[in-house]
Amino acid sequence: MMMTMMMNGGEATEAELFLNCDDMSVLERQRVQLNYHQYHHPGFEPTLPCFFPNSSKMNVGEVDSFLPSAGLDLPEIYGELHGDARISVSPGNITTEFGNSKKRKFGCVDTETKVCNEKKKMMMMMDREVAVEEEEEEEKSKVTEQSTRSIMKTKNKAKKEQNSCSNDSSKVTKDSQRTDYIHVRARRGQATDSHSIAERARREKISGRMKFLQDLVPGCEKITGKAGMLDEIINYVQSLQRQVEFLSMKLATVSPRLDFNIDDIFSKEVVSAPMMNLPNTVMPPHMMVNSGYPHDMVNSGYVHFNPMQQVVTSSDPLSCFNNGQSATMWDSDVQNLYTV
Amino acid sequence: MASADKPINTDVPEKDVFTLHFLQSLSNLRRQNTFNSPEKTNDRVKKIKKAAYVSMARAAGGTNRLWSRALLRRAAKENSKVVRFPRRKKRVTCLRRRRSNRRDPVEEEEAERLRNLVPGGGGMETSKLMEETAHYIKCLSMQVKVMQCLVDGLAPK
Repeated sequence: MMMTMMMNGGEATEAELFLNCDDMSVLERQRVQLNYHQYHHPGFEPTLPCFFPNSSKMNVGEVDSFLPSAGLDLPEIYGELHGDARISVSPGNITTEFGNSKKRKFGCVDTETKVCNEKKKMMMMMDREVAVEEEEEEEKSKVTEQSTRSIMKTKNKAKKEQNSCSNDSSKVTKDSQRTDYIHVRARRGQATDSHSIAERARREKISGRMKFLQDLVPGCEKITGKAGMLDEIINYVQSLQRQVEFLSMKLATVSPRLDFNIDDIFSKEVVSAPMMNLPNTVMPPHMMVNSGYPHDMVNSGYVHFNPMQQVVTSSDPLSCFNNGQSATMWDSDVQNLYTV
Repeated sequence: MASADKPINTDVPEKDVFTLHFLQSLSNLRRQNTFNSPEKTNDRVKKIKKAAYVSMARAAGGTNRLWSRALLRRAAKENSKVVRFPRRKKRVTCLRRRRSNRRDPVEEEEAERLRNLVPGGGGMETSKLMEETAHYIKCLSMQVKVMQCLVDGLAPK
């Protein structure tokens, strides 16, 4: 959890030292940089390029060097960054908040408003995509929300930056994260280790697919639960399979030999194909399906199979299917059919 | 939400492709000598059913779909024939690594049933399973339509 601490003036020097020390780790430097994005103090002068007023106790020059890089992109931070250090400056008052519980040095509670102090938001961005709005120095004039983030390198997902703190109505969350890595922000109250974030991404992917399936399966717009949806899908698949079985039974019984009738249909359609267009309009839709599809089939059939077969001249149109087919139907068929 | 792979490709060929394949397999069945004996209806039914599935698999996905590959492989194994699939462009081996990743006790009970239904579902991750299910449903409905038409056409007039 993010712990925010306030440092009074007396301890500003420590922060100053913290910021200015040359051997500051990248982690800490980023934490400092994150502060620049999170200041929200209303009294802050918006046009100031840096957080700290000139009269502040901090070393402005040193701080300035962070800002250009901070505004544009954050360095690539690996590992677990469980929080961030925030520096919000009010005139005459410097507050530094260290988010990392491991490095907690000050146990004070932040008395500034920060409703979003404990909030985390999860964000995963694609590389080279500004999925999140940029939080840059020029936009400091807008009120920005403070939110805690943990940045890790994980897999792709689209932005979710609008899902952060809902308490503050005036929030405008912008983060500039144009790096080569996918930055993930953990949502409020959720763990931030890579496994759970990956898990969450996976779950969202699955729910997306479920939505897609929901459109496919007829009559399940009302069902909202995942379990119910899955049940519905399973029922539908089972019913389709049963239908196939039933129809194959029917086929077996209707046409005991399967050759005579099919040839009949086929020849009938072949002969009268040009004439089918007329009756098609007159026939009821049910019949149209029957007569319409063989028509299509005939056309496409001859288109498809003629290149494959040598000659289609026999009175038995179906023989064209079997011309040259060996007993090993599966092998040759697989290859033949895909060369068409 | 907008996951990155939102545009899942579940295109299914036209009906005539399905009918072509089905009719071809049916005619192949017809050539078998044992097929036309009037008594063994159950046998015929099973063969027709298998032909339907195989033709559907070939028509719809060929070797580009996991479920069709599994179906074809299963059918070929029943006939004790070996089917060689062309090498897929996508790495199939990555599934092995993801196997540990896909477990989630809440979903897996239902996903298990789906896995049993959809051919080839046992080796898939859950999200991939959903994708395959969607395509499978589309193909199944298309095949049902085709067979229905055929039965109607063949019904004694």
